[in-house]
Amino acid sequence: MNPAVHLDGITKRFPGVVANDDVDLVVEQGNVHALLGENGAGKTTLMNVLYGLYGPTDGTVVVDGTPRSFDSPRDAIDAGIGMIHQHFMLVDPMTVWENVVLGNEPRTWGGLRVDEAAARGAVVELSERYGFDVDPDARIADVSVGVQQRVEILKTLYRGAEVLIMDEPTAVLTPQEVEELYGVFDELTEQGKTIIFISHKLGEALSAADEITVLRDGLNVGTVASDAVTREQLAEMMVGREVLIDPATTPRKPGERVLEVTDLRVEDDRGVEAVSGVSLELRAGEVFGVAGVDGNGQLQLAEAITGMRNPAKGTVSYRGDPMADRTRREHIERGMAFIPEDRQERGLVMPYDLTGNAILGSQHDPEFARNGRIDWGAANDHAASIIESYDVRPPNAGTTAESLSGGNQQKFIVGREFERDPDLVVATHPTRGVDVGSTEFIHDRLLELRAEGKAVLLISSKLDEVQGLSDRLAVIHEGRFTGVVDPATVTEEEIGLLMAGESVDGESVSGAAVHDAVSGAGDVAVETDLDADDDSGTDDGDPLTDDGDPVTAGDDRTRNEEVDT
Amino acid sequence: MRNPLADVPIPVLDDLIESDHLRSIVVGTVGTLGLLAVLGSSFPDSVAGDIAGIVFSTSTAASTARLAAPIVLAGLGGIFAEKSGVINIGLEGLLIISAFVSVYVASVVGIGNAILGVPAIWVGFLAGIVASTALAGVFGVVCIEFKADQIIAGLAVWLIALGLAPFMSTVFYGGVNTPNLGARVGWRYFAVMVVVATIVSWWALNRTAFGKHLRAAGENPRALDTVGVSVSRVRHTGVLLSGVLSGVGGSALALSIGQFVGSGETMVQGKGFIAIVAYLFGNYNPVGTLGAGILFAGLDATQIRLQQLGYAVPDTLVQTIPYVVVILVLALVGRTRLPAAAGDHYETEE
Repeated sequence: MNPAVHLDGITKRFPGVVANDDVDLVVEQGNVHALLGENGAGKTTLMNVLYGLYGPTDGTVVVDGTPRSFDSPRDAIDAGIGMIHQHFMLVDPMTVWENVVLGNEPRTWGGLRVDEAAARGAVVELSERYGFDVDPDARIADVSVGVQQRVEILKTLYRGAEVLIMDEPTAVLTPQEVEELYGVFDELTEQGKTIIFISHKLGEALSAADEITVLRDGLNVGTVASDAVTREQLAEMMVGREVLIDPATTPRKPGERVLEVTDLRVEDDRGVEAVSGVSLELRAGEVFGVAGVDGNGQLQLAEAITGMRNPAKGTVSYRGDPMADRTRREHIERGMAFIPEDRQERGLVMPYDLTGNAILGSQHDPEFARNGRIDWGAANDHAASIIESYDVRPPNAGTTAESLSGGNQQKFIVGREFERDPDLVVATHPTRGVDVGSTEFIHDRLLELRAEGKAVLLISSKLDEVQGLSDRLAVIHEGRFTGVVDPATVTEEEIGLLMAGESVDGESVSGAAVHDAVSGAGDVAVETDLDADDDSGTDDGDPLTDDGDPVTAGDDRTRNEEVDT
Repeated sequence: MRNPLADVPIPVLDDLIESDHLRSIVVGTVGTLGLLAVLGSSFPDSVAGDIAGIVFSTSTAASTARLAAPIVLAGLGGIFAEKSGVINIGLEGLLIISAFVSVYVASVVGIGNAILGVPAIWVGFLAGIVASTALAGVFGVVCIEFKADQIIAGLAVWLIALGLAPFMSTVFYGGVNTPNLGARVGWRYFAVMVVVATIVSWWALNRTAFGKHLRAAGENPRALDTVGVSVSRVRHTGVLLSGVLSGVGGSALALSIGQFVGSGETMVQGKGFIAIVAYLFGNYNPVGTLGAGILFAGLDATQIRLQQLGYAVPDTLVQTIPYVVVILVLALVGRTRLPAAAGDHYETEE
């Protein structure tokens, strides 16, 4: 039997960049094939060549034994190739069936009228054949993301797809929806369909794919069967060298007190208390980690410390000065750097170029501002130096922030904040959604800062990250620290209990009043533990798993990672 | 709070009127008219009697139909443009240009003459449609191909027509008002056109593939693009249809009295803007737009008749009613929702 898809020596050049360099890819029919690689490795470009969005510079596309040349996605669709984009292409106010048939509506009355009965019938028939539970008359806006993804799959099947390309299919799904998607994969491959999915998550590729092809810098590093490879091997293929699992930490040399927070209480936007009496002390040359399930007050804690939200009660003092009444600008000028949780919302101005983004927060700095005007030459040099030192790709200060991949956006923000020469860095989820190589890079930079005698407050829901980097580790639950532990000796089980609001010996720390919430959270931990085991398969507690995972999904997904032991 | 009017069943139109908002408008209007009829016939000498006499007279009906035609037709056109993602606030300009060109061409052909068997006045009618469609086409190219701001380009369409039509009239006739043709088209023709256009528009929007594509182009153009339908072609079609329908409306307005009046705001007098109000009020539903257009035109016609009966109703106040209504509707009902991508330019990724 012919392979479903055979990409033979595909090269794709863009001006100045070789996105794919002589890539061969053979995908057998009825298989699930993962295309694994870091951000910018050329996965999406390769699939866009297969889908007809780009013509290859060199090489041939062979579909089911026939060489093809696609000028547009139309041609690819006609050849039985369907693509499901990461961001769904659905019209929200229209119904499921209207979306499925959009552009290929069955018609009556000489082509004038849409044959609704036929359209609905076709959608129901497809939906039943593949065991999708989709109501054809529901509006897209009213159904869950998982169902929307199935509608996208139905769209490609309706157009006769034999090969389905999915771009980062799990990025927006909850763990339960991910399981359901794997079920859909099984259903589809049983009926002879072939699936190629793009991913940068090791665990996902291992658990869902039959075969895995790893791309790096536009080259095919190799194709392996998923049951004959380990995470470490895959990670090394992706990154091109052995990945350091434990960052090399040096003994801590705590210096003077940089940050002191006393009995801090902070309300969220709705006026509900999100931080309920947190006290901490942070010294120079120290990393203080805060671990916890997302949404337990971490965001408000970081905002209160960095001057973006006024505390309801308590004090924050920085190098001995109370900061409560100081503006955000004063916080920045006094050397407090901030890596925000949502980089696209708060870290960057997406339509600005990197030069404009490089001076955000420094726009009053005499280095860049003269008589109320920006010195764009200096700003440009500054952007170029960040790009160079932090390996931001593409290395061009003129590109807009939105055209960068997530990992490169994050490296740029980290670079900008660290170049302020701060005394304190507040880093919230600094590697969320960042690929393995960039994660390692950011971790190294954080540790360098620590070695230089800076203070770092690291807030993350990735347990391995906070545990591996911190000198002291606090666990936050419902706005208060349930414990401050030594990350070198504490077990993940103990941290898990603290994150669920219980003390290490199993008792609730905050008394009977929170007991219900506590046991509820405990259930979640146990349940997701099981999920995590299913997912991870071979080895436990490997930080690479988490490092490779972008945390774009909701809380549940995050919880899953945190309690992954 | 649920609007009680929304639950009243409407026998014939039930299929056409899906939204609660529209049901309330229809039921409310019919109810008010019914009350007026009862009051008017019970107390014929009261103000209510006078108003009832006016509202239910054929001359008011004729004048309502005449005033409603441009509002409803331009409103229907506006729906096609806006549903596709192009906000056409130049409807007023399209009405003005077609009103002038229809009269001009009819007078050039000469009343009493015919071209290919088509009487001059109807030749003028068609010419008005062509002129409006051409201007809409230019607007479409500027907005869709050259990515101009739709609001600015729409205002330009209005200002160009507002200046050009009276100027041309002055060039050809020595005054901003054209002489009367001495012939006109009866309002019944236009009433029929309005009703037919409403029904056809509703059907085209809701039952044809084109209607679905139009909606997708205005809501999520990328979704339409990825299934292989050209977004700019769909949008051009939507804008051109707004030109065709506005052209019918503008020509109808001028030819129903046989003259183009170019002084001040011209004879169109903001009907293009009221058309926008009408389709927003009707929540992009042609049937609702028809109802809103008749309501606004009816108020205007009633006001004119009241003046004639000696009631000192300030006409300028009556003319603000549509705008006040739309602000109330937008603020209180809040059901009107612009297409998600309306006003946005679209560029394919390739």
